[in-house]
Amino acid sequence: MSTMDRALSQGRTCCLSCHWLVTLPRGGGGCRCPRCGGKVHGRIEGSVMLTWALTITGALLLIPANILPVMTVVYLGSGEPATIIGGVMQLYTAGLWGIALIVFIASIAVPVMKLVGLVLLLLQVQGRLPINPSQAMTTYRIVSAIGRWSLLDLFMISILVALVDMGAVASVAAGPGATAFASVVVITMLAVRCFDPRLVWDTYYGNPYRNAGPDHRAPAAAGSRRGEKSDPIIKEPPEEGVAGDV
Amino acid sequence: MADAPDVPWSRRQRACHECDQVLGDAVAPPGNKLECPRCNATLHRNPRGSVNHTAALSLTGLLLFFPSLSLPLLSFSILAFGAENTLLNGVRALFAEGYLWMAGLVLFCSVIAPLAKFLLLGFISLGCHWRLLDRPVTWSVRWYQHLKEWGMLDVYMLGLLVALIKMSDLGKMQVEPGLYSFVAMMVISNLTTLSFDQQAVWSRLERRRKRAPGPSPGEGPLVGSGEQL
Repeated sequence: MSTMDRALSQGRTCCLSCHWLVTLPRGGGGCRCPRCGGKVHGRIEGSVMLTWALTITGALLLIPANILPVMTVVYLGSGEPATIIGGVMQLYTAGLWGIALIVFIASIAVPVMKLVGLVLLLLQVQGRLPINPSQAMTTYRIVSAIGRWSLLDLFMISILVALVDMGAVASVAAGPGATAFASVVVITMLAVRCFDPRLVWDTYYGNPYRNAGPDHRAPAAAGSRRGEKSDPIIKEPPEEGVAGDV
Repeated sequence: MADAPDVPWSRRQRACHECDQVLGDAVAPPGNKLECPRCNATLHRNPRGSVNHTAALSLTGLLLFFPSLSLPLLSFSILAFGAENTLLNGVRALFAEGYLWMAGLVLFCSVIAPLAKFLLLGFISLGCHWRLLDRPVTWSVRWYQHLKEWGMLDVYMLGLLVALIKMSDLGKMQVEPGLYSFVAMMVISNLTTLSFDQQAVWSRLERRRKRAPGPSPGEGPLVGSGEQL
């Protein structure tokens, strides 16, 4: 395993939406995938910076999401606003500890784990943590798989708001904390999408361009150009087409 | 690998999308999946009869959307008062309370994204049989990739369950016929996602291009570097 095993050090990269191996244009920069038309860059552009920005935003929004009430259940005139933790405690004291656990995992543990995981990954990519790459990849996969389940609480609120609407007898109203919580979930989901796991391997094996000669930095110059011409399937790019449709 | 740029540009290669390892472009045998040797990312999953199954399942899902949207899912009653919950009801209630962002998000994740997923997959798996539709199919596959994780019927299902149990000591909670159709739709949605293999669609398009050479207006170059942005 060396630098050369990575596609980018050969001037190529994988299209993230269709997984086609794309030859990047000479001189760097991105292009459109010739097969699916998606934008292709060697690595996601500004990945670390964007992920940091979104992670920090998410962490800050987590504060109002947990302090402000998410939901108010009024039953026979009594009832007070409850925060996320308050809702979990209510379920627990009512003896529904199974449901309490599900809600706790989905709305408290998952967002916090996601943010911690993202920070670990970012620090790893910036070369400050001695995690081995396969552990980092496990973290990445867990973080990207669990994210959507945090919306559970939000769906529950929307169901209850419609369902329990009987004026003075019983009613459920959403609270401002729910808006903040929804933003946390969406922002952290976007943060995971912005993170490029290939950077983990770049940190581990070194800059993909480092060991490459001048030919590799300008991949379309000598070697691969000749290769392209000798490939019988190559057609000259037409004036208009999928690739030119920017 | 020292003379990598001198290796002729080969179509028969792929790179792992999670660690950028260059690999041979092997295809998983039907019913199996292919994993990256370095990072264990799933490179390709090859469900049997992917295109036909996806077409059937997504049409089923679309049909199930009508009862799931129009029938009530749960009903709740205290004494003589009662209310019902449909998929759109909750969105409307949140909207009426002024929580636009939340209402929009719930609408998007529980109705629009799942519907769009069914529509796109149905279109892809039926449309990839016609050369005329190559370009819209290409576009749909790309958008499906973006939309995929936002369809949250399963999360909504869990939300229904939590709401059902949470409110059962306050009043009388009842399961309505819409819930059965919703559960069926959720299962179908997950099966559709599992049965879809975009590689099958790409190789179908590719085979057709090989059979009928000569560029058509809907076609870009199959290989080679794309244009600079």
